[in-house]
Amino acid sequence: MAIEICWLDDLAKAQETARKVNKPIFLDFYNPQ
Amino acid sequence: MGAVTYPDERVAKFLSLNFVPVQIQSANTALMQRFAVSWTPTLLVLDADLREHYRAVGFFAPDDLIATLLAAKGKWALGTDQFVEARALFEEVISSHPDKDAAAEALFFLGVAKYKMSHDPKPLRETYDELKARFPQSTWTKQADHYRLISK
Repeated sequence: MAIEICWLDDLAKAQETARKVNKPIFLDFYNPQ
Repeated sequence: MGAVTYPDERVAKFLSLNFVPVQIQSANTALMQRFAVSWTPTLLVLDADLREHYRAVGFFAPDDLIATLLAAKGKWALGTDQFVEARALFEEVISSHPDKDAAAEALFFLGVAKYKMSHDPKPLRETYDELKARFPQSTWTKQADHYRLISK
């Protein structure tokens, strides 16, 4: 089964997770069109 | 990025293991302004306090993104005073991606990490010598030029 990126769209949630797991946040600003 | 790079299984695995991945649409003008983003794709590496440690604009092929973000993670570790991890990450970029642009940047910051760990300036001089030998055309070699004044 292929691995897919589990993207968050909530920065506050990302901060909480990053603090818990001691990892940096990768933030991708994108244009969906 | 969404059509080529992110569907690549190596990228998906790398991002999942090393980062907390977040995507924000360009329609979110509040966050675009908050991070001074004016073009997409813009890629940022932030710490848990949202301090920026790395920024890039434009497309990255899968291999280039992995090498670049490994070096960016090293800069995150350096910027959060995790010097042992920073050193290991920069060494991994240099050994695993020696032909990528990120290797020269990693070599530059490996010298910085070693200096921060030891307060001995010799690693900075060694960095300059190695940059000059391996990446003579790199901007990182030019930016390390003043280290040649440090005695061996």
